[in-house]
Amino acid sequence: MRNLIAFFKRFRVFLVFAVLQGLALSTYFTYLNFPRAQYLTSASIVNGEILTIKNDVTKHFNLSYNNYKLQKENIALRKRLPQSFIPVQSNIFKIDDTLYHQQYEYIAATVINSTFDKRNNYFTLNIGSSQGIKRGMGVFSDKGIVGVIHNVSEHYSVVKSVLTEAINIDVMIESSGAFGLLKWDGANPKIGSISGISNDMKMKRWSKIVTRGGSGIFPRGLNVGIVSSFKPVEAKPLWDISFYYSEDYRKIQRVYVVKNLLKYEQKELEAQIPPDTEE
Amino acid sequence: MRIFIIHTLRFVLFLFAQALLFNQLEIGFGIQAMIYPLFILLLPYNINIFLSMLIAFALGFGIDSISNTYGLHASSAVLLAYLRPMIFKTFEPRDGYEDTQEMNFYEMPTSWLLSVFGLMLLIHHFWFFTLELFKFNEIGFILQKTILSVPVSLIVCILIQIVFIRKPSNK
Repeated sequence: MRNLIAFFKRFRVFLVFAVLQGLALSTYFTYLNFPRAQYLTSASIVNGEILTIKNDVTKHFNLSYNNYKLQKENIALRKRLPQSFIPVQSNIFKIDDTLYHQQYEYIAATVINSTFDKRNNYFTLNIGSSQGIKRGMGVFSDKGIVGVIHNVSEHYSVVKSVLTEAINIDVMIESSGAFGLLKWDGANPKIGSISGISNDMKMKRWSKIVTRGGSGIFPRGLNVGIVSSFKPVEAKPLWDISFYYSEDYRKIQRVYVVKNLLKYEQKELEAQIPPDTEE
Repeated sequence: MRIFIIHTLRFVLFLFAQALLFNQLEIGFGIQAMIYPLFILLLPYNINIFLSMLIAFALGFGIDSISNTYGLHASSAVLLAYLRPMIFKTFEPRDGYEDTQEMNFYEMPTSWLLSVFGLMLLIHHFWFFTLELFKFNEIGFILQKTILSVPVSLIVCILIQIVFIRKPSNK
């Protein structure tokens, strides 16, 4: 017993060090896997407030550029309004048609904090559960996809962006329909990669990449980027594809959150697929 | 009492400067300027090591919670506070630290500051980037980030001392 006390006395500095280190590292590794530590993120009230004040200052830096972008998007949307169509054949097209059932709704949001040079980059949005945000919803901007909601508090939410290691959004090459999973290697915020496309598919440079919409997070056909280069993976029948993101994540501010009204139905149906028996 | 107030103020300033300003600066090539190691360097020489580790932990935790890094800064700051007395001891000048008030730019010789603070930054940055990437096959990228970030942090920290710390009048 005396030896034990002597031991603790001798190594007490190191023990305190080890305890603090353990506390920090366990939070780090826990959070990487499960977003449970709500108190330690920018989705918490205090830090959310701080970041809101910061964003109030910095949001004006890109104001004219953002206005330009919104204006362009408004024009694109205005083109699709029924008022801008001339009815070529009347009584065929009705706006409130029961043939169309609304599947996706969009919620506008502002990015109040973001990084792009870390290994895993998370963005903070100024909306939270009180605006109907839930974990797992998709986030995109007018130019391309941004990420998936990772953690939600009452008034803020944290997005796991496409600049993280294991983002795994299902995307496809628009022309050929070949689909794979989106990854990021952590080096360049302009370039992402796709894995899982087998190399007997024909690839072309500059072909467009869009979302596949398979998991119900994003609607089909949202912009992701364009293929910049591809080479075969060694010892595997797969392409290693790099592509340029269509959005510049270094100055992203205005985003939209996707709310899939039919996601529950899809999940319920897919849950009935019998699991693979491994024997 | 005066020292207590000074360091509390510095704590708050370093926390917000790091989290809201320097973590937002994105220079490229993986460079990340970190200034809060300077706060740990500038703690009083004979501070209790338990206290300094706790302060470092709190500082790192605060930075983490604002910039969504979940314990990375806390871990590196605690490591730095733990190693600080050992590094000081290794680089002790011949006369010891008897009449030194603070380990700043004006009180210590420049060569001492460069070697001690350079070493502290090197350890801190290497630990930080290793944890951040945490993959053996990315060791090249870890080293690139460390080697490029240390000089930037060092220069920024020395500039901060020149600008904000008052020069002692008797020298």
